[in-house]
Amino acid sequence: MSQNMQPPSVKSLLSNGAKKRTSSHALPTWLLHISLLLISFCLLLPFYWVLKTSFTGENIFIYPPSLIPQDPHPFFYIDTWYYIPFARYLFNSVVVSVLAIVANVVFNAMAAYALTKHFKGKSLVITLLLSCLMIPFQTTIVPAYLITGKIGLLNSYLGVALPTFSTIVCIFIYKASFDAIPTSLIEAARIDGLSELQVILKIMIPLSSSAVASNVILSFIWSWNNFLWPLIVIRDPLMQTLPLGLSRFLSYHENTTGALYAFCTMVLVPGIIIFLMAQKEFIRGLTSGATKG
Amino acid sequence: MKKLFTFLRSRFVIIPLAIAIPVGAWNIYITQHADGVVYGQVLTADGLPVAGVTITMMEKNFTTNSERGKVVSATDGHFIFTNNRSHNIQLRASKQGYSESEQKVVRLYFKSQNVTLKEPLVITPNQDKP
Repeated sequence: MSQNMQPPSVKSLLSNGAKKRTSSHALPTWLLHISLLLISFCLLLPFYWVLKTSFTGENIFIYPPSLIPQDPHPFFYIDTWYYIPFARYLFNSVVVSVLAIVANVVFNAMAAYALTKHFKGKSLVITLLLSCLMIPFQTTIVPAYLITGKIGLLNSYLGVALPTFSTIVCIFIYKASFDAIPTSLIEAARIDGLSELQVILKIMIPLSSSAVASNVILSFIWSWNNFLWPLIVIRDPLMQTLPLGLSRFLSYHENTTGALYAFCTMVLVPGIIIFLMAQKEFIRGLTSGATKG
Repeated sequence: MKKLFTFLRSRFVIIPLAIAIPVGAWNIYITQHADGVVYGQVLTADGLPVAGVTITMMEKNFTTNSERGKVVSATDGHFIFTNNRSHNIQLRASKQGYSESEQKVVRLYFKSQNVTLKEPLVITPNQDKP
């Protein structure tokens, strides 16, 4: 009798297990969707409120608050665009962000490639890098300012972007991605006569598109939102970036709720667009090293 | 070549293009319609055109209004400014023997936008005048 019985296949076992798990533990789909909708509503409400106020200029303390905008118009955006040098601030922010992105993509890849090699003191270097993560930027501002001043980069784009040229988190994102690339591929490239730099540029970076996307997004967001360092380094009002412009805007003008919210929206929008554009790569880049044993 | 086409069809190209094209078109539109012309008419409350009315144009900033020009209305009550350089102006009509019009706020979508006022400036004769 036992000889007639066929052992269950792995596939059927897996599917049975999956069904049991689904039936016993998983939430009903409709409940899950409602929960997600509620959470999304709570998370998106402040953004909606900013957007709504930027079109209506209504007092944010008005009671009862209304969800639907009344008499919306785009003039707060137009005022913001013209009353302050918004285009100039935007240009400054873009230049600084582009510098930071290019530098992050290149320098972090180099640093991460070095960390994939075996050398004496590698674990010490990694420990040092990780421990540097615990040092807040505020504590390094004075030496950073003195160094930037010594090399004559105060009040310049390069000076603003310099501290964000390489970030440790991004190095480790690259490292996780580079570790997943087979060593045989690198050896084959070396046999073909590629230098280390060419290996990085022609093999490692093209095979780590998710890590590149993560680097681009993170460095963009950090440099875009950077406030403290530009505040210290920049003296010329026309060299200010958007966060500084926002602060200046607040100090100059009162009772301009609509224009202020329009400014906030205009500052936020580029970051949101870039994130939405590259979110797939961004999430893949952040999780690429997560399952590695 | 295939990679290039794939890249050109990706969202990293399409989304910036989708933003850049309307922005470019808007800027072209602005260059074609930014001569600073403000055209309007002054009428009495009865709807009659008034000649010789002085119309003052003020440029509004966040906190201040500053005078930018004056013109006089023609016999049919029409007036025209050709030197507006702002996007937020206010107009006021005045004439001896008439009460001053309300200060009319004109919001424009870009600086120096050519605009024809949909509603006229209204002035009323003073009652105490003969």
